Amino acid sequence: MNKTYYLDLFNVSLQQIKTVTETALAHGGDYADLYFEHTTFFNLLLKDGVVSSGGFHTDYGVGIRVLKGEKTGYAYAENTEMHDMVQAAKAASAIATGMTSSRTYQPVEDRISDFYPMQNNWRDMGADALLPFLKDLEKAVFEKDQRIVKVIVRLSNSVSDIMMYNSLDELTCDTRPLGSVSVSAVFEQDGKTENRSAARSFRMGAELTGPQLIQELSEEVVRGIDDRFEAKRPKGGQMSVVMGAGASGILLHEAMGHAFEADFNRKGQSIFSDRMGQQVCPKGVNVVDDGTVAFNRGSGNYDDEGVAGEKTYMVRDGILESYLHDRISASWYGVRPTGNGRRENFRYNPIPRMRATYMESGDSNPADIISDVRQGIYVDEFSNGQVKIGEGDFTFFVKSGYLIENGRLTMPVKDINIIGNGPQALADIMAVGNDLKIDNGTWTCGKEQSVAVSCGMPTVLVKNLTVGGEQ
Amino acid sequence: MINEKEIRTARHCISYAMASGAEAVRVSLSKSVMDGYTLLNGELDKVTHSADRSIYLYIFADGRYGTFSTNRLEEKELEEFISKAVIMTRMLGEDPCRRLPEPERTERNAVTGRELDLYDETYESSDADKRLAKALGMSIFSKAETDERYSIISEECEYSESVDDNYLADSQGFEGRHTETMFYCFAEMTVKDCEGNKYSGFWWDASQKADGLSLSDCSAKALEKAAGQIGPRKRRSGTYRMVVENQVASRLIAPIVSALNAASIQQKVSFLDGSLGKRIFPEGMTLMDLARTPGKNGSRLFDTEGVATKDTAIIEKGEVKEYFVSTYMSEKMGIAPTIEDISRPCLMPYLKGEDLTAEEKEVSLPDILRKCSNGILVTGFNGGNCNPVTGDYSFGIEGFAFSKGKITHPVREMLITGNLIDLWKSMIAAGNDYRPSARWQIGTLAFENVSFSA
Repeated sequence: MNKTYYLDLFNVSLQQIKTVTETALAHGGDYADLYFEHTTFFNLLLKDGVVSSGGFHTDYGVGIRVLKGEKTGYAYAENTEMHDMVQAAKAASAIATGMTSSRTYQPVEDRISDFYPMQNNWRDMGADALLPFLKDLEKAVFEKDQRIVKVIVRLSNSVSDIMMYNSLDELTCDTRPLGSVSVSAVFEQDGKTENRSAARSFRMGAELTGPQLIQELSEEVVRGIDDRFEAKRPKGGQMSVVMGAGASGILLHEAMGHAFEADFNRKGQSIFSDRMGQQVCPKGVNVVDDGTVAFNRGSGNYDDEGVAGEKTYMVRDGILESYLHDRISASWYGVRPTGNGRRENFRYNPIPRMRATYMESGDSNPADIISDVRQGIYVDEFSNGQVKIGEGDFTFFVKSGYLIENGRLTMPVKDINIIGNGPQALADIMAVGNDLKIDNGTWTCGKEQSVAVSCGMPTVLVKNLTVGGEQ
Repeated sequence: MINEKEIRTARHCISYAMASGAEAVRVSLSKSVMDGYTLLNGELDKVTHSADRSIYLYIFADGRYGTFSTNRLEEKELEEFISKAVIMTRMLGEDPCRRLPEPERTERNAVTGRELDLYDETYESSDADKRLAKALGMSIFSKAETDERYSIISEECEYSESVDDNYLADSQGFEGRHTETMFYCFAEMTVKDCEGNKYSGFWWDASQKADGLSLSDCSAKALEKAAGQIGPRKRRSGTYRMVVENQVASRLIAPIVSALNAASIQQKVSFLDGSLGKRIFPEGMTLMDLARTPGKNGSRLFDTEGVATKDTAIIEKGEVKEYFVSTYMSEKMGIAPTIEDISRPCLMPYLKGEDLTAEEKEVSLPDILRKCSNGILVTGFNGGNCNPVTGDYSFGIEGFAFSKGKITHPVREMLITGNLIDLWKSMIAAGNDYRPSARWQIGTLAFENVSFSA
């Protein structure tokens, strides 16, 4: 869509937004930007056989940011009336009052891309058009396993119209769809209960809700349920951990990704803040944060500062090559912003955030990686993770996996936390498989604000991590 | 603050939805204003001002139910929004269990929003200069005493003042208002030891009243937390007594509260299914919901349905006394409704082998460390989860080893693993050293025989 569409949508003229920007800089700010957002959300919930709740939600407003040096003034208005925008601009401009330090913010190269073309706009879909999909998915799941007693299906989507303007006279616009479907099932067997879930989330339109997704999710939600009933807690302690391809990317997100976000490094807080150019992983390991994967949940034609999406190598051949930058940290370090300035919505100022974070494939055969482990654990399904930036200690929660004994997967395990230290874990990577897989679940990162991300990994052997378990 | 015009708008939403074909409607109008100041190393780093307002509509039409929200409150736009909302609700599946609560269960005395004394009128006389002065007063970056064990890498301080105002009404005539101010401070310190290892620690405080906030020592406590972690050692994997500091003890109660929610039980994703009226937990465990205590964080007169809260025992001497049952779940499960969720959980004090009922005895961290003698003191959780179906948990922890009731050295990169019901059955102590600012009134806890992995 052309820029007129967005100016009309937000009911503002180019001259008006220039005036607001000038107001924002009135107290001597170095840089100012405006972030207009109109997002429509829609959700349906199928439970106990009925789509018994659903709704839609509208969010609209403009966020105004002023930078003075690295200092930030931020305010927003929930409408785009000139009076309210000017008031917000004045509130944000206060950061520059009395400040003497300054910094130059450079224009960025505009690259026009469309990583998420929508065939069927969610906004054109009524609830009636989507209801059959939920019911068909529920039916397909029940048909997969007679032990299933409950199924919940959730469908949610949003479409965000974004217009960004800044004091460098850059005007960028984007329309971002995001569709998510999740299904969970409760199984009963011999008086025991287990549950499993599966989800997919993509930046795409309603074409997401096709028969292929029903097949994928219904198969995935029952996969491994026999093992889950049999699973036990392992004996805890330090051991070799084989990270299965896909969702194991949470290791990168927690152990490395956050510590590479440039705001933590600019402030000296990250365990990696003085390691640029050093070897942080074994040679041959490449770790990227990518905003250009087609339809990926973490992708962006532009980030939330109007910087074009790109693929950023954080680690190339084992060497720390780049942090993840927003405009502030890029200016601080004297480098280009990497398109990582992201925010939850117009109510928040952008900060460096990950997009799709993954390790590129290596050359090992996944089966050989497992067979080389005498005693350890294989993990392939995860939920949440966390990291302590300064110390580098990270954890992630394993929903399912297997013991490895003499190179073979043996006893199924479940519900264990794994803890390690980022730099040590990276140095302890012993093998990287040739089977990179991006996990397209509903990953959401919660650093100050919630943003959609994704992660991926080939099969990887980490020599030594601490695994929770019974004693 | 919500004004009369906005209340009329909310009431109009109800009448317009009813005129558009809804059988019943609930509307929630929320407004909030927040001013925040963040410092980095003693200098102002970020100023934020936010002002939000939104309307949520809960529409019941043709035996169907939908929820909708918008921050576009202009009348014409709102009416169009409501018309579409009613149409969409009618497209959803029929669910006869959806209805508003009986009027006699709803709160009648939440008229001004200030009945619970959670609003500080001095908020109105605060201004940007005063707030900035408070924020700047938090920093100790340039005045912290030098210490040969470490140097300070960074200090982040945050101070904010906010007001939240909520008006809830339904088509049966219920109207309720809840208003509260919040004064909040947070500090995070990162230090580096002589070997270049970094450690971070944080502290926070919050209060509905400006004079209830402990602002001046926030950064010093964060520094103490960070520096206290220098020189960690790993303990061997094994079974230890575990003491959990009051800052983080709610982490071990939250899964229980979640499992007592009827929505989890009805969906068979609760490890406390079938527990009502049974002694599941040890006799020393009593968990109250003290929802109506004036001036306390978390107190409220009504829940999101408008149902009046009450002070009640959730678990009494180990026996589960109450599930959290919304109107919908009540209909669905055929059980009496209660309240949709806990408001202000309070775990009563307990010390194994001692009678605390006869006297107002303080049970705090030093008492509990002495009682336990040896073990691991957990001061923070690092990730982990609890399986809602089985209650099996596994959490990363950090803290200190202690011996003969005294802390010996920090520990890190450790995990605890077990089952939550088994854990609580091994309870040795529950302190009454609650943080006044916390919604979750859970004191220091102690447990026997906890599995630690390292």
